[in-house]
Amino acid sequence: MRRLLLISFVAVVKFALVPASANAAGISVDAGLTPAEDRWIFRTQMRYMQRKEDPTPMDRKMSTYTFPVVLAYGLRPDLTLMLRQTVMNQETSMAGSSSRNTGLGDLFILGKYKLYRRNTPDYTFGIASTLGLELPTGADSFTSETWDLQPGLYTSWRRGPWATDFNVAYTLNGFADRGSGDINPGNELSLDWALAHQFSFGEKARVSLAPVLELSYKNISPDRLYGRDVSNTGESVLYLSPGIKFTISSFILEALIQIPAWQDQKGFQLKRGTGIIVGTRFMF
Amino acid sequence: MIRYRFWFLVLSALLACGTGCTTTNSDVSVKSTGDSETRVYEVFGMDCPGCHGGVEKLVKKIPAVQQAEANWREKRLVVTVRPGAELNDEDIYDAIRRANFTAGKRIK
Repeated sequence: MRRLLLISFVAVVKFALVPASANAAGISVDAGLTPAEDRWIFRTQMRYMQRKEDPTPMDRKMSTYTFPVVLAYGLRPDLTLMLRQTVMNQETSMAGSSSRNTGLGDLFILGKYKLYRRNTPDYTFGIASTLGLELPTGADSFTSETWDLQPGLYTSWRRGPWATDFNVAYTLNGFADRGSGDINPGNELSLDWALAHQFSFGEKARVSLAPVLELSYKNISPDRLYGRDVSNTGESVLYLSPGIKFTISSFILEALIQIPAWQDQKGFQLKRGTGIIVGTRFMF
Repeated sequence: MIRYRFWFLVLSALLACGTGCTTTNSDVSVKSTGDSETRVYEVFGMDCPGCHGGVEKLVKKIPAVQQAEANWREKRLVVTVRPGAELNDEDIYDAIRRANFTAGKRIK
């Protein structure tokens, strides 16, 4: 019990550890449609996230830049493999003093399997399942220190210039390696919905501009220790995110503003502020 | 300040690379010549400007294909047969399937 109280206190003070997986998805396009066989996709993003409005007198603040680099490959028409490595830069401040930290985040590997796809002259519809694994390979400040398993289900629907995607993912944090005396980090549920309308240009229609609207819900369960919830852990957030996607043939430039429309943090955690995502994607 | 300049340069380089690479690709046009045959196939499932690359890459691997160009908006794949070579339609349909698209009828 004493340890539980100590950890609860530490959770309030040591608020800086926010792994990359705590971000909502953002710019989730074509998720249910597996790419062609032998197709490479290289993707980079800059994600800015801030946390503020400290309910305690400590005046804590945090801003994080996350740079995920993703390489995906269509091994077979129905199977895509993906690797993601993040670099993180985080600034935290408390009671007037601040510190900055930079390092690697955890390595994430993912397999996507095509469950269903229907291509017709009028529409395209696809469902794909995913299984991801996050390894505790990151720097001390940015690793979750656990092996995290992430099953997911993705759907995509296209009709003319309209596109919509719906994704569900559940992350089992620390599914394999936690003893009875360790904190069991809370699991995460992510629901993402995206709607886009594509305006294409040029004779061959290889340039397009697509306004995007995303709705992302994330629920992080409280951490557990000795069968009890750890105080000041666990939260829910709903993001409303307008964005834009610019495509020139196989190159995509994308940007999104993530506005927290609703959020609920347990205990004395910081509120999430508006986030920004800027990214590029190149397919070859 | 140096950090922001660095990422601005990285983004600019990526943009320049992407634009350059794709311009080269999209400038290639498939035209019938006296020695080569041009075939046109319907392809369903291409829904974005970037979709053409996957099917073109697979079709171009067929030895009898000299050039291939897909248009996502017209749902068409134009294939130029290498002069003197014999191209089996089934090879094209197989490449379209492996690109996760669906072949319609052969138009020409």
